[in-house]
Amino acid sequence: MFCDRVRLPEQEGGLVTQFNDKGQNVVETGSNDSLRVEFEHDGTIVVYGDIDIAGGPVLEEALGAHEGDGPVTIDLHNVSFIDSSGLRSLLNASRRAAERSSHVALRGVGHEVTRLLEITGTTERFTIEPAS
Amino acid sequence: MISATTLGPIEIRVPPEPSLSRVLRLAASGVASLAGFTVDEIENIKIAVSEVLIALVEHGSGEPIDMLFSANDSSFDIRGRTAVETFDINHPDLSLCRTVLAEVCVDHRIDEVNKEVHIWAAVRHEAIA
Repeated sequence: MFCDRVRLPEQEGGLVTQFNDKGQNVVETGSNDSLRVEFEHDGTIVVYGDIDIAGGPVLEEALGAHEGDGPVTIDLHNVSFIDSSGLRSLLNASRRAAERSSHVALRGVGHEVTRLLEITGTTERFTIEPAS
Repeated sequence: MISATTLGPIEIRVPPEPSLSRVLRLAASGVASLAGFTVDEIENIKIAVSEVLIALVEHGSGEPIDMLFSANDSSFDIRGRTAVETFDINHPDLSLCRTVLAEVCVDHRIDEVNKEVHIWAAVRHEAIA
């Protein structure tokens, strides 16, 4: 889990190239105590931790920095908690994608995320993909 | 078999710091676990605590936030309050928060009282016989 990771002080706030659990080369785009966001070279944005009022802004910033012209794929397989502030970050990404006639795909959506999407009636704002 | 227990009130005062959301969820889930709440009920409690904190941090004036947890045979009650300069119950950012609270809680209420916003949310507990 991300909590066990050792992070050097000079890496705070910068882009850090490292290897994930699958040995793939990834770039860390942002993190705090709640959340870590990685950008894989196939374009997938992988989120680890809690997307709450503390983690939401980290995700928002990472999404803003890495959205291109095409669709955005966000892997939520390692997300253990999400609340409405985190959902707002995802909805903002969905809105921006719609404005450029594209979409946001959510991959590896677990029970917590599924439930929040259903509660708020926002499931159809995203393309839901199975975990890779 | 675990029997339902009445616990609290347990009051916590925190600065309006987003990173404390996880700490408050952990405290609330610990109290609920001790009181015999189920895993599903504790999931609802964690969401409710988070939503209450979102509303208080985003709409408060920056003063400390008081959170109070209490568990009884029928519900887990979350009460939160903080000072506000102005408060709009119909603010768009609150609507998502209230939608979630309405779903995970048996009841909830948001009031402005003397330049403070008060939020009460109760998560249902199916007491174990």
